[in-house]
Amino acid sequence: MLKFQRGSREAFEELFARYREPLYGFFRRRLASKDRAEDLAQETFLAVIRAVVRYEPRALVKTYLYGIALKLLAVERRKLSGNEPQIDEHHEPAEDGPQEQALWVRQALEKLDAGEREILMLREYEQLSYEEIAELLRLPVNTVRSRLFRSRMALKSFLEPKRKIQSRTRGAAEGEAQS
Amino acid sequence: MITHNHPIEQEELMAYLDGELATNRAIAAAAHLEHCAECQELAADLRKLSQELMAWEVEELESAEGTPIAIKAALQDRPGKPRKTKTRLGWRILLTRRGLVWGGGTAVAVLLLMSFSISRLRVPEWNDKQMSELTRVKLATPIPQQEPTLHSGLIGANNGEAGKLQTEEEQEGSDRPGVPTVPMIARTAGLTLTTKEFDKTRAALEEILKRHNGYMGELKVSAPSDAGRTLTATLRIPAPQLEAAMAELKKLGRVEDESQGGEEVTQEYVDLQARLANGKHTEQRLTEILRTRTGKLQDVLKVELEIDRVRGEIEQMQAEKKELSKRVAFATLSTTVKEEYFARLQPTPPSTGSRFRNAAVDGYNTVVEGLIDVGLFLLSAGPSLLLWAAILFFPARWAWKKIQSRKRGDAEEETV
Repeated sequence: MLKFQRGSREAFEELFARYREPLYGFFRRRLASKDRAEDLAQETFLAVIRAVVRYEPRALVKTYLYGIALKLLAVERRKLSGNEPQIDEHHEPAEDGPQEQALWVRQALEKLDAGEREILMLREYEQLSYEEIAELLRLPVNTVRSRLFRSRMALKSFLEPKRKIQSRTRGAAEGEAQS
Repeated sequence: MITHNHPIEQEELMAYLDGELATNRAIAAAAHLEHCAECQELAADLRKLSQELMAWEVEELESAEGTPIAIKAALQDRPGKPRKTKTRLGWRILLTRRGLVWGGGTAVAVLLLMSFSISRLRVPEWNDKQMSELTRVKLATPIPQQEPTLHSGLIGANNGEAGKLQTEEEQEGSDRPGVPTVPMIARTAGLTLTTKEFDKTRAALEEILKRHNGYMGELKVSAPSDAGRTLTATLRIPAPQLEAAMAELKKLGRVEDESQGGEEVTQEYVDLQARLANGKHTEQRLTEILRTRTGKLQDVLKVELEIDRVRGEIEQMQAEKKELSKRVAFATLSTTVKEEYFARLQPTPPSTGSRFRNAAVDGYNTVVEGLIDVGLFLLSAGPSLLLWAAILFFPARWAWKKIQSRKRGDAEEETV
């Protein structure tokens, strides 16, 4: 980042190559529109370019980028303000394919408290440390830890029906195989 | 579920699995996890949960290869220029809700500022508070650190671009306390040569100096009768050309001694620049005070004296900065060129007649010198000798007579 600040275009290209996919993933998991996710990932880098002269190496580049991404996400959510298509909570995926598993996870995550969900997702999908999450969300590290634990326990309980279906399906399959 | 008897808490176990637990607690957690079935179950649940979350994968980017055009365009416009596309800019932004709020807010702020400035202009005299504010304005007034700038002159000198040296006036005029991005090194070198052809070497040295755009800082030539000539010079050569110039100089004779050194002055330069910026800022504030406020003559004189003092400090710092820049831009090469010394043959001794004549002249001179010395001694010591003789004459005569009479008495006794 400092190299880019000093004018190295190669440094930016390296930064772009390294964080483009993770940032796209960040927005994609939080927004319904794929195109908007792509746009906002791009917007994050544009914000980096615009603000490069003011950049101060106080935090890791990763934290800096996700900080911008979180702000853009907040703006986007304000714009949408309830118009975003929601996942159908009543629809229970019955099959055990990868698509259905993903849907189970999404539905379970939707049920979590928004703040706790954000912490859990930053930890699981963005692979941020407790300290990085604390810095991004301006929370004490211990709060992050306890909220993360709470959200994991809640998620576990939300995923229980899925586990039961899975074990039932597995049992039936084993029975068929034996007969 | 886990009971309270466990030496580690559930959250700690989770942090341990996430690799976020302090070492001492992590050791305890690992030890406990080995034999606690409940905690093993929780750990398994947490691991499984993470695996389940990974089931939600996002589809790949459609345009994964290459940099998008918008980013390329933004890179062209950087740094910090607002993008002209995609966002609503210009006068239309004023028509939006946010534009109206911002526009209105700015207008109110400007009006408030103007009214405040007018009320300040009406203050007729300085009061004690204002004077104390003035006394607080010192050179130590902190200035917000501005964005780093590249000093092409100084850096260029280090990177082999002496021809692009930025003039000192330009640097001072910019008034931006920047941080050099490469170290600033003041280079020094020493070279001692011995040559047979002293005159040619000197001419060649001047030629090399001219070719490398250098100049002679100091020059001294000595020619003792019983030794070879010596040239001692301090050469100032553009730093990037020092190596090349030294290589050429070494060809002029036999190298007796060679040395090179470098002193990093980056910190010194940055400090000086910051102090200079502070000084200018202070001067500006004082001038502003003098311009905008009226007061007693005594107070005005105080401000003027303060401005004089600050200006003096600024000029001194500017001179220091100039000198420092020069030290970095031009390396100092101390050169000594010694001529190889050839001892001369003794000339033919003089004839015997000349030697007798010379001896006679020497004898005469010695006699005359001796007489002059005696005369001088008498003149200088005579008066004091006469004085002491006059003082001691009568006591000495009395003592003499006494001794003589005693001797005479003894002789008479012997005869009786």
